Amino acid sequence: MFHWLEKNPFLFSVGVFIVIAFAGLIEILPNFAEAARPIKGLKPYTVLELAGKEVYKKDNCIACHSQLIRPFKSETDRYGKYSLSGEYAYDRPFLWGSKRTGPDLHRVGNYRTPDWHANHMWDPKSVVPDSIMPAYKHQFKNVADLETAYAEAVTVKNVFNTPYGDEIQPGKEAYEKYLKEKALPEALEIAKKMKNKEVLEMVQKGQIPEIVAMIAYLDRLK
Amino acid sequence: MNSMVVKALVLAGVLIVGTLVVVKQMHIDLSDPVNMITFLGAIAIATLAFGVAAKYMQQMKTDTATGELAEENWDGIGEYKNELPAGWAYSFLGVMIWAVWYFLWGFPLNAYSQIGEYNKEVKAYNAKFEEVHKNASPEVLKEMGESIFLVQCAPCHGETGDGLSGKAQDFTKRFTKEQVLAVIKNGQYQLKYPMGDQMKGGMVQGKDAEAVAEYIANGMKGDAPAAWGTCAGCHGQDGKGNGGTAPNLVDYDEPLVQHVLANGKTGIIGHMPAFPGRFTPVQEKALAAYLQTLKQ
Repeated sequence: MFHWLEKNPFLFSVGVFIVIAFAGLIEILPNFAEAARPIKGLKPYTVLELAGKEVYKKDNCIACHSQLIRPFKSETDRYGKYSLSGEYAYDRPFLWGSKRTGPDLHRVGNYRTPDWHANHMWDPKSVVPDSIMPAYKHQFKNVADLETAYAEAVTVKNVFNTPYGDEIQPGKEAYEKYLKEKALPEALEIAKKMKNKEVLEMVQKGQIPEIVAMIAYLDRLK
Repeated sequence: MNSMVVKALVLAGVLIVGTLVVVKQMHIDLSDPVNMITFLGAIAIATLAFGVAAKYMQQMKTDTATGELAEENWDGIGEYKNELPAGWAYSFLGVMIWAVWYFLWGFPLNAYSQIGEYNKEVKAYNAKFEEVHKNASPEVLKEMGESIFLVQCAPCHGETGDGLSGKAQDFTKRFTKEQVLAVIKNGQYQLKYPMGDQMKGGMVQGKDAEAVAEYIANGMKGDAPAAWGTCAGCHGQDGKGNGGTAPNLVDYDEPLVQHVLANGKTGIIGHMPAFPGRFTPVQEKALAAYLQTLKQ
C-alpha cells in the first residue's frame, strides 16, 4: 500500500520531517511570532535612555541585577506585574540577567524616584544601610555618550524598523538638532528632580552626565 | 517437566537463597517496608530472568517454522504473514484517537498556561489571606505592617521610618512646619479625598498661617489658634479628617495610607510614586497600624 513512498526516499524524508516537526510547527511557532511583537503602547527608547542603557551595560549592572519578573506570587508581590516577552521588543540586547545579588529592576521606575537613584548611586548605604552594592560616583562626573546612542537609534530604525518616526535621522545636523530639542530638555527635567547642583549645572551647560542618562533609563523601566 | 526448566528453577532458587543469606549476614531489617519491597523485587527479577531465558531456549530447541510466507523475499530470506500483536494494535488505535482529541480540543482549548496557573494560585492565596486575616488582632496587623514596610517602604523612608534625614516623609511625626506652610500656601488636591478640591492655596495667610502650621506640626496640642476654624471645617475640630472625608492631620490612619498609595504624592520633599493595586485591603490596614506605632 505504501510501496510508492518507499520508492521515493526524498518524498519520504520530507513526510517524516513534517510528521515529527508538526507539534513544533503548530505549538511553538505561532506563539513565538505573537510573543515577539511589542506589547500595545510600548515606545522605543529615547536616545537619552539608550545612553543610560549603555551605562547600565558598561558598569555591568547585569552581573547583580535581573530584569525579568517571573509569574510567581513571591516575585509579583515584591516587584510588581510579571514580565511579558513583548515588553523587551526594543531591547537590543535584552538585559534579563540571571543573577540576583541585588533586586530585580524590571519595574524599578514604578517605585523609585530620580533623587532616590541619585542618593543610591552616590552612596548606596545612605538609603539602604545593609546594602553591599558599591558606589558609582564616577557616573556623576563622566559625560554620557549620546552620540553613540543616537547612532544606535538610527541603526535600529534602519535595520529593524524601530518606530522612531522622523525625529531620528542620519547625519550630524540631525543629531545636534535632536540633542538640543529633545535630549537636553529631557535630561534637564531629570536633573531638576535629582537635587544635585553640580549635575544640574553640567546639564545646563549642555553636558549630560552618565547618572542622568542612567536615571532616565531606570525610570523608563516600568 | 524437562531438564531445562528444572535447571532454571534451581538456578533461580540458588540466587534467591544467596540473596537471603547476604540479607541475613548484613543484618538488614526486613520489617522495614522499603527493605522488604527491595528483597521481593530481587526474588521476582531472579525468577523472571531464569524463567524467560528457559522458555526461549526451550523454544529454540523444539520449535519448527509454520505459517504462510509473505510474497516478498529478499535474496531468499522471507517472512511469515503474522497477525499484528494485539497489544501493539490497540495502543496504535488508542494513540490515533488521542491525537484527534489533542488536535481539536486538548491543545487549542486545554493547553497548560503558566500565567493561568499563576492567576489561579494568586486568587486562591488572596482569598485565603483575606479570610484568615479578616479580623486580625492589632499585634498581627502591626507585625504584618512592619514586614511590608521593611520590604516596600524602607528603601526611601528608612528602616526606622524617619525619612532618612529629609529624603522622604518622616513617619516619627505627622508634619514639619514647612510642610504645612507649603500646603497652606499652594493648596493641595493630590489625594482625591471625598471632600473634593476644597484645599485652595492661601486660605489662611501671614501670621495666621504660621500659627496654624505651628499648631499642626506640634501635634495639635494646647489651644488652637483663631485661624484653625478655617481648617476645622473640613479636617474636623480634632483634625482627624471627619471620618475619612478629608486627610487626617494627626495620625497616619487607614484612609490616609490608602489615598497616598493609590495616588502618590508630590510635596516639598519630593515625589512619591503611586502603588496602585500593590497591597490588599488587609495589608493597607496593617501598614496604617504599623505607621501609627512609629509616631512619637
